[in-house]
Amino acid sequence: MTNRLRVLRAERAWSQQDLAERLEVSRQSVNAIETGRYDPSLPLAFRIARLFGLPIEQIFLEDAKQPNQ
Amino acid sequence: MLICKSAAERRYLVRLLVAGLLYILATFVTIHILYHGRTTLPMGLLLAAIPSVPLFAMIAVVAIYLKEEKDDFQRELFIQSLLWGMGGTLALTSFWSFLHLFTHVPPVDGFHVFVIFWVLMGVATIPLRRYYGGAGND
Repeated sequence: MTNRLRVLRAERAWSQQDLAERLEVSRQSVNAIETGRYDPSLPLAFRIARLFGLPIEQIFLEDAKQPNQ
Repeated sequence: MLICKSAAERRYLVRLLVAGLLYILATFVTIHILYHGRTTLPMGLLLAAIPSVPLFAMIAVVAIYLKEEKDDFQRELFIQSLLWGMGGTLALTSFWSFLHLFTHVPPVDGFHVFVIFWVLMGVATIPLRRYYGGAGND
């Protein structure tokens, strides 16, 4: 699942550590989510959405499905 | 100085250290008692159980950590380390057992298995952290 976390973070000039502290998770967690290697749990996704003041769907984007051949 | 990513991890490491030290102490004491030869079955059962109790405690410490850790990514990483540690231990000890069957290498004593598991679990965290990326602070 792709996400706009890095963009939203950059708009606020936050480092990964800054964001991690605000979300009360480790910096590695933030990095793993930003790189798309890890999808956050639902409670964490809601915390992220609340922090940025955006709906979850505007932060996390479902990967585009391939049309049936 | 060990850097812990959370309070839950700090508590986990302290509890694990205590259980580990108790295991070492229990092992030394029971082996010292048996130094002069084998014993009766009831006494043997008791002596064998004494070092096993801290081992169960270590498993309980792991379970408590998984419950207390609020960072779900760190929990996921830990679980994957456990999986690779367990799988690696099973594969390695199976391999060694076959090798013992086919050659003259000494067998793996059962009480070494737990140590092998912890070592492999620790080793597994290295490639896992590299895969998920942990360097730098963007």
